[in-house]
Amino acid sequence: MSLIKKIVNWTDVRVGVREVVEKELTGYLLPRNINSWYSMGSILLFAFALQVVTGMLLLIYYVPDADKAFKSVSTIMNDVPYGWLIRMCHVVGSNMMMLALLFHMLSVLFMGSYKKPRELNWVTGFILFTLVQAISLTGYLLPWSQLSFWATTVATNSASAIPVVGPYLVELLRGSQLVGPPTLGRFFALHVAVIPAVIAALIGAHLFLLKRTGVSTPPFGVQDTGNQWQGESYRYEDHPGGIPFFPDYAFEDMRSIAIYMAIFLAVVFFDPYLFFPTDAFLPANPFATPAHIKPEWYFLANYQTLKLFPNELIGLSLQAVAMTFLALLPFIDRGRERHPLKRRLFMTCSVAGLLLWIGLSIWGHFS
Amino acid sequence: METDSSRRTFLGVCLGGLGIIAAAAVSWPLFRYLAPRSASETAGKVVIPDTDVRNGEAKFFEYAGSSAVLIRKKNGELAAFSAVCTHLGCIVQWEKAKQGFLCPCHGGRYSADGVVLAGPPPRPLKKLPFTVAGGNITIG
Repeated sequence: MSLIKKIVNWTDVRVGVREVVEKELTGYLLPRNINSWYSMGSILLFAFALQVVTGMLLLIYYVPDADKAFKSVSTIMNDVPYGWLIRMCHVVGSNMMMLALLFHMLSVLFMGSYKKPRELNWVTGFILFTLVQAISLTGYLLPWSQLSFWATTVATNSASAIPVVGPYLVELLRGSQLVGPPTLGRFFALHVAVIPAVIAALIGAHLFLLKRTGVSTPPFGVQDTGNQWQGESYRYEDHPGGIPFFPDYAFEDMRSIAIYMAIFLAVVFFDPYLFFPTDAFLPANPFATPAHIKPEWYFLANYQTLKLFPNELIGLSLQAVAMTFLALLPFIDRGRERHPLKRRLFMTCSVAGLLLWIGLSIWGHFS
Repeated sequence: METDSSRRTFLGVCLGGLGIIAAAAVSWPLFRYLAPRSASETAGKVVIPDTDVRNGEAKFFEYAGSSAVLIRKKNGELAAFSAVCTHLGCIVQWEKAKQGFLCPCHGGRYSADGVVLAGPPPRPLKKLPFTVAGGNITIG
């Protein structure tokens, strides 16, 4: 008997690992018509793990002090061996994770996977989406560059449009009247401790819900594309005769992750400053506002919306309405049909919404 | 069946090989990122003005990423040592009255020449090279 087999046997008689493997991996069956879009979740898990690891490594040399932060980041980039690689992986990783998250949401939207009984999967996923935005925003300030400083000034200032509590909320966010050393302390704590912990917990909840309800069947290549769940009682959606998660779909997941990594590393090695405007290379100067300060690409649509409306409150309210609508979508769109081409109203609205978002982002970029 | 089995083994070996290459490609930058800066990178000459160390006194300073001490004995003779105790790596203290070093961690005692007088240290303090020129003492 080989050594590996002996170790497996030793563990199996104590904790029953073979049963777990059978139940969760080889015997965990997925629909036969499952497609590559279903591996977006695995890509996101991998991307989040990469952000956690590179973030921990950056903590070794980064100094969260307004007088030293920019210099410490410059040291990481120029003096620490491979420091540039770790930081670039973290920066490019955050942008790529956002992109993968958008694709994940779009695939869930178009395949109707958010419909009952998976409303909670959608809601936890949507909260994760807003948290990823929040962790990106807080991380943006940490290098303490001109870009960090002024982008945070503009972003936190938008909260002032909220009636009555707005100005107080801005001060609460910043820890002072203007963005300054207290803001760095707050954003640092949020970025490295609070938000990652909440994200990790919500990922756990998201996966728990996925395991309890079962993977949804894609509405492609099957006769009946309607929602099968009637709402009578709890029922795990199993897929008899489906393909096993391991090794079949696990390899599909690995292939998707490899493609993601190829694109990710191509950016890291061939265009590392893709997400860096010039102001990212200058230390923060509270007395010199740079011209045309812009947020990250995924906030450009929000930025342009605020610019379009002379009244900031209207701009903010519109965004809040759009976000609330999206968060509550499974409770609003209660139709049985899941195939995108058989849902004309949904397709028209979602394509129009997507085009509007892309249009506003491009407009925001060039305005 | 035999062809299938050998193909499976071949693909397994290829995948394992790729895995090892990928692991090495990740491990090397990680090791270099975490590795402390070598002594040769941090080593440099330390210049101390002659007037900074009076007779019977000591001056502690950072040298080659570690702690060092320069003393001037009562007879005016200079000596430079690593201030790291040879027992368990604590930093020794200069006792002006006794003209010797004491390691407060476990009571190791050294003479002004760095020789072990008492306690657990297994070796004398490491001597550092220095030169005196133009009113300056250059260590290293």
